[in-house]
Amino acid sequence: MLVNADIYVKDIPGSLVRSLEPISAVDGNIVGVVHNREQVIDGMISVNLTFNVEAEKLEALKTMWKSRDVVIAQMGSVTGAVPMDYILIGDANSNFTEKLMKEAAESIAFSSYEVNTSSYTDGEGRTVRISAKLETKEDAKKLDAFMIESCAKKKLTCIRGLTA
Amino acid sequence: MRIFISGFGNIGLGFFETLLIRETFLKNRYKDDPVTVVGVVDSKSYEYNDDEYKICGFCTIGSKKTTGRLHKDRNSLSCREIMDMVDFDLLIEAGPTNITDGGEGLENIRHALRKGKDVITVNKGPLALAYSELSALAEKNGCHLRFEGSVGGGMPIINLCNEALVGQRIISIQGIFNGTCNLILSRMDSGIPFEQALREAQQLGYAESDPTYDIKGIDAASKVSILANSVFNRNVTFSDVSVTGIDTVTGEAVRMAAEKGMVIRHIGEISNDKLEVAPRLIPKNHPLSVSGSLNKAQVITDMAGPITVSGRGAGKSETGSAILSDLIWIMDRRNA
Repeated sequence: MLVNADIYVKDIPGSLVRSLEPISAVDGNIVGVVHNREQVIDGMISVNLTFNVEAEKLEALKTMWKSRDVVIAQMGSVTGAVPMDYILIGDANSNFTEKLMKEAAESIAFSSYEVNTSSYTDGEGRTVRISAKLETKEDAKKLDAFMIESCAKKKLTCIRGLTA
Repeated sequence: MRIFISGFGNIGLGFFETLLIRETFLKNRYKDDPVTVVGVVDSKSYEYNDDEYKICGFCTIGSKKTTGRLHKDRNSLSCREIMDMVDFDLLIEAGPTNITDGGEGLENIRHALRKGKDVITVNKGPLALAYSELSALAEKNGCHLRFEGSVGGGMPIINLCNEALVGQRIISIQGIFNGTCNLILSRMDSGIPFEQALREAQQLGYAESDPTYDIKGIDAASKVSILANSVFNRNVTFSDVSVTGIDTVTGEAVRMAAEKGMVIRHIGEISNDKLEVAPRLIPKNHPLSVSGSLNKAQVITDMAGPITVSGRGAGKSETGSAILSDLIWIMDRRNA
């Protein structure tokens, strides 16, 4: 996935190189580096990085940066957000769906999500369509497991999108 | 090659007809090993070659089609007892699927393998319940056990994965393994409610009067377990498959899927850590977004990427073609 990150590194010689080494260490490929020497906070300089890396290796990268005193101000995928779609059939009203998505967001990193509730009651309840974008494949897997478990508890039919 | 056919309904009879159609081809290919059918058993009757009677292709087909019976009534004889009366080299098991205990088909396959006979089966029950036992039994007795027609009828999926794609790491298989469910769901795309689409499938002869096997996902789950065992070398049975049928899919759900450019299809999914049959949302431009009663599967490989294969999932000549390919595979090795 292509990732864009704002990081802060110490304003001392060699710190930029030390901040880039972990990207190579996780087999990432640096696409762009903007070294913004005008933006200094507490003796640290802002660096904007764009790089390709496997989603599964992001956590290892964060750990390495932390050990090198690199502060991550913002990090997110530029493209490659993982889309996931669900349709819930049964007694799925808007209160339930709202609560469901709040609970999901506590442990899963969403780039965005959209909930559509049917106006037609279809006998038992309203049908709900959830379209989400997740930051990593790991998050997508977590959301799949979460939806399966939550729908089973509520006795809803959960139709999941097919992922490769 | 002396063949014994157990199960002489649509599939068994269809294969018998295939042998007649391909008679010259088989004679030319196996000059020193002519293919002959030496025994046939259905649920009520049987016939086999002895001093007084010889199976004749057109007589057997004619008798079955006009009277519904073969030469002799079975009375209390089991298929195994009839097998013991005949010298044969290969059993073709085409009896009805029993997913509870494998039924007579499982007993027949065990019996033939114990006798050292090769087996070709299109009966899903025995494979979905006792694959490991049967393949171990075949290996122990130096027999071949082949079953291409048990998954996807005329769609060559097992031999594709195990032979054409040999050397590849197969990451996953996703597919439509039940034509009846696909027909119902694709009719629902046109706004027809589930019950009406099911009735239409029944009227067209795709769905049984009791459609439970299809719409509850039992048939597709049997095929998923066969693929898991035979392609992924897993040791699973039908009961290990997570199954959701299509009977809870509503017209409203189909409409909401269409709003997002998607369709709902009943998909079987197999990988090293997945074993599932469920209705799934699929983009309309996805290879598995097909209409009608076709079966279709996408094999994801590490080197060749995705490979897609489709075909008619049922039908006597389609399944007959799968049995024929297994027969040729076995005869090539026996005559090497």
